[in-house]
Amino acid sequence: MGIDLSIASVSKKFGQFEALKGIDLDIEKGSFVCLLGPSGCGKTTLLRIIAGFEKASAGQLLLGGNDISRLPPHKRDFGMVFQSLALFPHMSVAENIAYGLKLRGLSKLKRDDRVAELLEVISLPAIADRPVSALSGGQRQRVAIARALAVQPRLFLLDEPLSALDAQLRDAMQIELRQLQQQFGVTTILVTHDQTEAMMLADKLVVMKEGEICQQGAPQDIYRQPANAFTAEFLGASNILDASASDQGQVQLSGVDTVFRTDAPAGTALKLSVRAESVVLDRAPHLSSGPLGEVEFIRNLGASTEILVRTGVSTVRVRLPSRDSILQDLRVGEQVALQFDAESCVVFRADAA
Amino acid sequence: MSVSAHEGRPRVLPLPRRGIRVNALYRRSAPWLLCLPALLLITPFLAACLYMLRFSVSADTGAIDGFSLQAYVELAQPYFLRSVWLTLKLAATSTMIVLVLAIPLAIMIVTTRSASWRRVLTVVVLLPMILNLLIQSYGWILLLGPAGAINTALTQLGIIERPLILLFNEKGVLLGLVQTSLPLAVFPLMSAMRVVSQEYLEAASGLGASQWRSFADITLPLLKPGLISAGSIVFAFNASAFAVPLLLGGRRVRMLGLAIRDMISPLFNWSGAAAGGMVLILIITLVLVFSTWLVSRSSVRGVS
Repeated sequence: MGIDLSIASVSKKFGQFEALKGIDLDIEKGSFVCLLGPSGCGKTTLLRIIAGFEKASAGQLLLGGNDISRLPPHKRDFGMVFQSLALFPHMSVAENIAYGLKLRGLSKLKRDDRVAELLEVISLPAIADRPVSALSGGQRQRVAIARALAVQPRLFLLDEPLSALDAQLRDAMQIELRQLQQQFGVTTILVTHDQTEAMMLADKLVVMKEGEICQQGAPQDIYRQPANAFTAEFLGASNILDASASDQGQVQLSGVDTVFRTDAPAGTALKLSVRAESVVLDRAPHLSSGPLGEVEFIRNLGASTEILVRTGVSTVRVRLPSRDSILQDLRVGEQVALQFDAESCVVFRADAA
Repeated sequence: MSVSAHEGRPRVLPLPRRGIRVNALYRRSAPWLLCLPALLLITPFLAACLYMLRFSVSADTGAIDGFSLQAYVELAQPYFLRSVWLTLKLAATSTMIVLVLAIPLAIMIVTTRSASWRRVLTVVVLLPMILNLLIQSYGWILLLGPAGAINTALTQLGIIERPLILLFNEKGVLLGLVQTSLPLAVFPLMSAMRVVSQEYLEAASGLGASQWRSFADITLPLLKPGLISAGSIVFAFNASAFAVPLLLGGRRVRMLGLAIRDMISPLFNWSGAAAGGMVLILIITLVLVFSTWLVSRSSVRGVS
């Protein structure tokens, strides 16, 4: 599959503020791309530039090889789902979905057919004549998606469309959205600050921070191999520990050598990213080679139990299945040793960006 | 039946009964109490209306005496019917023109990003409302009158020999009506614009609508309730205009206000004037009722 949308050194300034600092991004045809980052990272600005609602201060957008940077939004051929959904309140569900088709000059008959077809796809066949004010949150969501897809756009853009839904509904909608996108095979760009949502939906994850792309790639790769502390933390790594390089090329945590090796010169400040579920507790600390710590806090979360262990300057979060026998009689104040699963830990320099 | 403490339930202290009753009474009457000053203020006006209604069915033209519909029957004369028609025509035309001018003004003010520019624009639109109607009309006379700035300039430039008749005709009155009532339409439209979120317009343009198309398909329908209320305010204001047709019409454009005054001042036909006034009130009331009905019909679809 070829490149569908190519974003070339796009930057955007609002007065003195640089919202985007030279973004380069290639998006493959039919793929699902998630722009992920905290608020203010420029992800929404980038989406609005792709849509044409904002003009890039510099750079180019190529859609199928054609420069669309100068085109007004209504000539760009995309369907968009807004954060507020922006369903037209003075139109019925059917009129909302048919609006783009009407603008393309389709006859009433063909419009009605297409609307019926789409309502079938979003499994809401009976609501065509309802006013949008009579719909539930999930129904509005689906209608907004149907409206955007009705015109069979080249690009499907979504600006945090699921953020207003409650957790359960959001989960169901994520699955539905992914299925719809695959069914239509449309190139899709979704903006979100929710890492679980991004992980579940994306073919390609683009992590953004302060107007720049931190890292891009397949979600599993980024999850396993975050390039820096920011990405690791944003993707839910619960422990970002301060470490340093020893003379022997070993990563030291609180002065104790760990199993990790580094090629950084001795004394370099490093970060060790460890997921809470990848730490193993050793309750016979005198026999262990791992860093020592003291249990500071224990809480049972139902299926899993979380333990905070204080080691030197940092506190390590450990998550174990509640049934794990090692938890038996574990008390606050007990001395334990920590073992890290080398496979699931990542070491990077403290100054990596 | 009493609930004792040892059954394990927390004891609930009963509220004093008198307190509850006073509270309920207070809650029911509070809105009325708050309305009282306003009601007192409009009472003399309502009384005057009733007094006029009584006068309009008086058998005597100069005093309230007996009952007769004579005054209304006498209104069915060409001079009065022409006046009614002229009033309807000028009020409707000026309302249309005002709305067409007010929509872009309101949109411009609401979409201006800089707060200080928005304030400047608002004050410019508001300014005529601060000035007295008489002063505004004299302003037009100074500008457009036979010896006004425009005629003087054109004469001195040799473009015209005799002054153009720009005022003292229907067009002059229309101009005055439009200018004096413009702010009355701009402000309701500005608040109506709040319904038209930027995201609706962006959604429309994403679906392929040009700016004009989304204005026609999205902005205008959403503005409809605002347009109707702005329109009915302007219509009522202009149908009852008096100073503007008096000064800019030069008594040649006899709108209802002038016709009614003429019945009183040279003719001393008090019951006729009262009947004419009732006709004016009726016309305006009908228009307001009709527009309220239009608004409530359009809000059925979920646009408030």
